[in-house]
Amino acid sequence: MERRLNAELWDKMHYLFRDFNDRMVHVELRYDFEIDLEVLKTVLICFFEKAPVLHSSFVDTHISTYWRVEDYRIEDVLTVAHPKPEELDDAVDAFLMQYIPPDAPLQMKVAVFYCEGKSVLCLVENHMCMDGGDLKYFMKALCKNYNDYAEKGISPIDLRQGSRSFEQVYSDFSQTEQRMARNLYKNVCAKDTHQFPLTPDSIRDRSFIARRKIGADMFDKIRSAGKKHGATINDMLVAAYFYSLYELAEYPESDSVTISCAIDLRRHIKDVSDEGLTNHTAFMQCSIPERGRDIFETLKYVVRSSNRYKKDKFMGLYGLPLLKMAYGILPHTASEEIIKIGYSNPLIAMSNIGILEADKLALSGHQPYDGYMTGAVKYKPYVLLSATSLNRVLTLAMCVRGNDKDRAIVERFFDLLEENVRALTCGE
Amino acid sequence: MEKCIDYIEDSLAGIPDDGTLYRYKRKVLEEMDARADEITHAGLKDDQVMTDLLCSEYPDLKSGFQKFAEEDRLKRRARTRRKAILIGTPLYVLLLVALYLAVSFLTGHWAQTWLIIVGGIFLLVLFLSGIGVKKLCTMRRLFHPIARVLIAIDVMLVAVYVFLFCLMLFDPPHIWVVLIGGVIALLIADAVFAAVTRQKLAIINYLIYIPAGSALLYVILGGIHAVPWSPGWMIVLLGVLADILVAAGVMINNSRYIYKQEVEDVWNEG
Repeated sequence: MERRLNAELWDKMHYLFRDFNDRMVHVELRYDFEIDLEVLKTVLICFFEKAPVLHSSFVDTHISTYWRVEDYRIEDVLTVAHPKPEELDDAVDAFLMQYIPPDAPLQMKVAVFYCEGKSVLCLVENHMCMDGGDLKYFMKALCKNYNDYAEKGISPIDLRQGSRSFEQVYSDFSQTEQRMARNLYKNVCAKDTHQFPLTPDSIRDRSFIARRKIGADMFDKIRSAGKKHGATINDMLVAAYFYSLYELAEYPESDSVTISCAIDLRRHIKDVSDEGLTNHTAFMQCSIPERGRDIFETLKYVVRSSNRYKKDKFMGLYGLPLLKMAYGILPHTASEEIIKIGYSNPLIAMSNIGILEADKLALSGHQPYDGYMTGAVKYKPYVLLSATSLNRVLTLAMCVRGNDKDRAIVERFFDLLEENVRALTCGE
Repeated sequence: MEKCIDYIEDSLAGIPDDGTLYRYKRKVLEEMDARADEITHAGLKDDQVMTDLLCSEYPDLKSGFQKFAEEDRLKRRARTRRKAILIGTPLYVLLLVALYLAVSFLTGHWAQTWLIIVGGIFLLVLFLSGIGVKKLCTMRRLFHPIARVLIAIDVMLVAVYVFLFCLMLFDPPHIWVVLIGGVIALLIADAVFAAVTRQKLAIINYLIYIPAGSALLYVILGGIHAVPWSPGWMIVLLGVLADILVAAGVMINNSRYIYKQEVEDVWNEG
């Protein structure tokens, strides 16, 4: 008998984003030993059984949507390759840049590349299944279960299961707060028209990941400089992002610019241990009124803007009731059309995925020596800067569907960003 | 599957079996069997992991059994009820006809006794519709409008029967007010249904029903000369006033749940 899963609100929203990005979330972790394939396969099968959305296809009947659980074989999930050292990076990038259609029977693909006694563990998944926050948890759980199974023979079945509903964010509110939160019908959307200066669309465009690493010494400096200015690492990066954008895109200094920053709505849930793997991410609009005389003034604006959100009890919950209503009362296709009228996708966004804890991502006692996570490949003119840190090395990544010129523009942007981060930390 | 069987037996040990427990155990085992096939097809080779994985899908078999037993009890009860209706309905109709004929032959009031047949049929319809409404209320909200239509039909059937009964037996003047009263009862019944089942936007119903009901009340009271037509129209005005009061009450109540952001736009600060 056909097994079906409910298509939750965020699943449908990410499905709607098909015009803006490829919806894939990417992880790359490099280890200095050879991963045991049989152990990894066993862990993956158990996890796929625990989270059936990972082996489901998304069905859109135009009237409604749902997930249909599909049969699979682990060989379809896991790719194994032994590239030559000089081919490794290309092989990894080629794997990470793949696109999984929502109607495919598998929503997550994993690869292990063996090269000179080392391994690269790569993972690509559909954002409709879970966001970066839960993928980070998934990776940590995968490593913990791998170790427990490989070392102690404990069955790898320790993965969170539960509701995937967006309404879980209300579960820890009092009755009055719940009613307030469920009445937040305000339509929150990015109205800024400033764009990242990429070239026009072309059918020759190809997806690529541009990366820039900022060393551990700089990471510590960012942290201590941030403390001095009452700013978080995120604020420091956003300030540098703003300042670099003004320079790269040559926006007038007096222009107000907005960057949409991803926020994890799990902050509203006290205990996530009985929640299913899902999306709980919204965006906050970080705006500055002008560029500022120097980068420190830009930072001041950023801190003020983000503090404004931090004080809000219902941070990120605006507009959810509106989306629920739109999807609840109309057939799926009609609700998508209605939502498209009121929704505008942020042109410039940032997702600080945060720290990838090396000790928790260790396999058989080997911590990853390099790695990062990044969000979806955005279609021009939309861009998303993802930030992760591993072993205090910060990786900034931007996935773009573009050409060599676009790659050069993004690289120039990273140069500016690095320069501005350095300016922010001067004197540290 | 031997370990899975042990797990089922151990988890459900000590529960007295009246046949339901066996069926539950059999059902769980069959489900585990089917899942084992799927997982084996996926490529899992470790039997211990397979067992642990399957058992982890049934973390609380005792609660599962309680739920199964309750569902089983309800299913059996529903089956019995269906059988009773299937046999009872023709029996009831036969009895009704017999009663009608008996009363008619005994009293000779053929002109009135047909009310027994009509009343009996209406009662049967009310009973069946009641079962339907109860069932629909347990279903998704999408089906609630059907329940509301059934309730409206029930209320009007009662009103029509009261009308016919009074007409045939007493023939009082202004008997037509019963039918208008029926419409008022219909509005009240629908409003009560909306309130009990916590229908979304039920307030819209109330705001329509209050003035509509007061206008009908005005017609009834005017028709039976209980109040003069003028200034009896004040009833309609009072209905509108009540509407405004209800709307204001709801707005005041809702205003308690409007969240005011504690921080103002920082860019507008002096």
